[in-house]
Amino acid sequence: MKRSAAINALMVACGAFFVTLVGLPFWWVVSGSVKVPQEIIARTPTMFPHSFTLQHYTKLFDGSAYPDYLLNSLIVAVSSTVLTLVLAIPAAFAFFRLDFPGRSALYRTILLAYAFPSIVVLIPLFGLFAKIGLVDRLPALVIVNAAFALPFSIWMLRSFFAGVPKEIEEAAVMDGASTMTILRRIMIPLVAPGIASVGIYAFVSAWTEYVFTSVLILSDAKRTLPVGFSGIIGQYQIDWGLLLAGATVAIVPVVAIFALIGRGFVSGLTEGAVK
Amino acid sequence: MQQTRALALVLVAPALLFLAAILGWPLVQAVILSLQDVRVIGGPADYLGWDNYQRVLSSGAFWDSTRLSVIWVIGNALLQTVLALAVALVLNEKFPGVRIARSWIILTWIVPTVVVVIIWRWLLSTSGGMINPLLVQAGIVERPVGFFSTPWTAFATLIFINSWRWFPFIALMMLAGLNRIPDDLYEAARIDGANSWQRFKRITWPLLAPTLGVLAVIGTLLSFNVFDIIWLLTSGGPAGGTRTLPVLIYETAFKGYRLSEAATMSVLATLMLMAFAIVATRTLDRSDRQ
Repeated sequence: MKRSAAINALMVACGAFFVTLVGLPFWWVVSGSVKVPQEIIARTPTMFPHSFTLQHYTKLFDGSAYPDYLLNSLIVAVSSTVLTLVLAIPAAFAFFRLDFPGRSALYRTILLAYAFPSIVVLIPLFGLFAKIGLVDRLPALVIVNAAFALPFSIWMLRSFFAGVPKEIEEAAVMDGASTMTILRRIMIPLVAPGIASVGIYAFVSAWTEYVFTSVLILSDAKRTLPVGFSGIIGQYQIDWGLLLAGATVAIVPVVAIFALIGRGFVSGLTEGAVK
Repeated sequence: MQQTRALALVLVAPALLFLAAILGWPLVQAVILSLQDVRVIGGPADYLGWDNYQRVLSSGAFWDSTRLSVIWVIGNALLQTVLALAVALVLNEKFPGVRIARSWIILTWIVPTVVVVIIWRWLLSTSGGMINPLLVQAGIVERPVGFFSTPWTAFATLIFINSWRWFPFIALMMLAGLNRIPDDLYEAARIDGANSWQRFKRITWPLLAPTLGVLAVIGTLLSFNVFDIIWLLTSGGPAGGTRTLPVLIYETAFKGYRLSEAATMSVLATLMLMAFAIVATRTLDRSDRQ
């Protein structure tokens, strides 16, 4: 494919612009977190740190409840991911493969979940959780996160199942495999990238959830990172070093997971979602 | 056959029951709540009928927030579509590093909102920060701008920040739409002597339009619901200038303790979104068939 030099230059310029638009703010935050306070609020900002200190990180981990928030967030995000997958995989397979009355109507109803403002269920859910003693407990968050991730997860997984060549399944049926065996031994391994994508989606949703946590969790020690950390913003006379360090640490887990299995996520999102 | 049905039921039932209990039933409860007068969760409930609806529909605050929400949705849709389309077109080309760019462009979307909030509060801050010194140095402004100090600049800034967070996600969806356009079409057009602009106008745009339509519907529903970014940056201020409907509902319920009124607002908001979704999908279906 041949392109004129002008188009090429334009592409590179556009690419550079977007890399800057997304990357530069992150660079400023991460690099800012190791600057000494005077440099952080200096009138002429520095692109690369002229100083190096870990004092903000020390303060974050020794002088605030941040480690608790981090741990709570990890517990909630991992549990939400597991619950979402356990519920979504069989449901998506049934919606894709098995014929049962009301299948397409139910499938559409599930997707309706995104057509109403999530805040509408917050008030009644608080009442429900209060009745069964789940208010101010982490399982409440796991339940809510899984519920909100579930419709999109089923939708995304179903299209991954649809991408498996029919011949493979037919061969298994010929060999006398039951539907459950096909699901366990053939479909699940084949759609592993799809499961990884849905897992990332569920993890990220739980990792970033704010509204429900802010209402359902009352005690400081049980807060997740988004809610607990936003409390720190107001709690101190704005201490930018501390906030930048906290922001950097909050980025690490999602970036790590994404680096490990992220490529599948993006292709899953793009190829799966539009089918 | 009988067996398949039983199996299907076993596989689907857990997910369906779960959704019914956590999303479906509370939705019904919200409607019931909107017809009552409840202030404290679990407190006494007097049946009111349509009184809450009358009160909300005749309140200025509700319509102010509705108007802001409409502007919010349109502003986000425009900015995100422009940015995302540009990114998608660039990432659809082959150049060194494009694979890495395709994965990591989504960075803004996978970090918690609170991180996005800190990033932009700091970058836009009047003491320290990065943007203001740059603007002053470049001679664009004389003194640091307080981006969050007037209603309109705060609202515009929030639209920018929210779009910054979401445009990569939309871009990846568009990229999928672009991937489905067969290469042969471009080859044929090139042989016929079409230039890049003609190829974009005659091939890319018409074939991408259905994807854009679907994304517009999904994006509208998603951005209508945005709450945390607004709440954490401005809490609806200054002077209510950024108090979109979700913010108003949250305030009414959890700051004002008028639960029934909040439920009423959220039911009305749901009806608006449903109406939009139905009209939009109908329109898309119709243009698909043409």
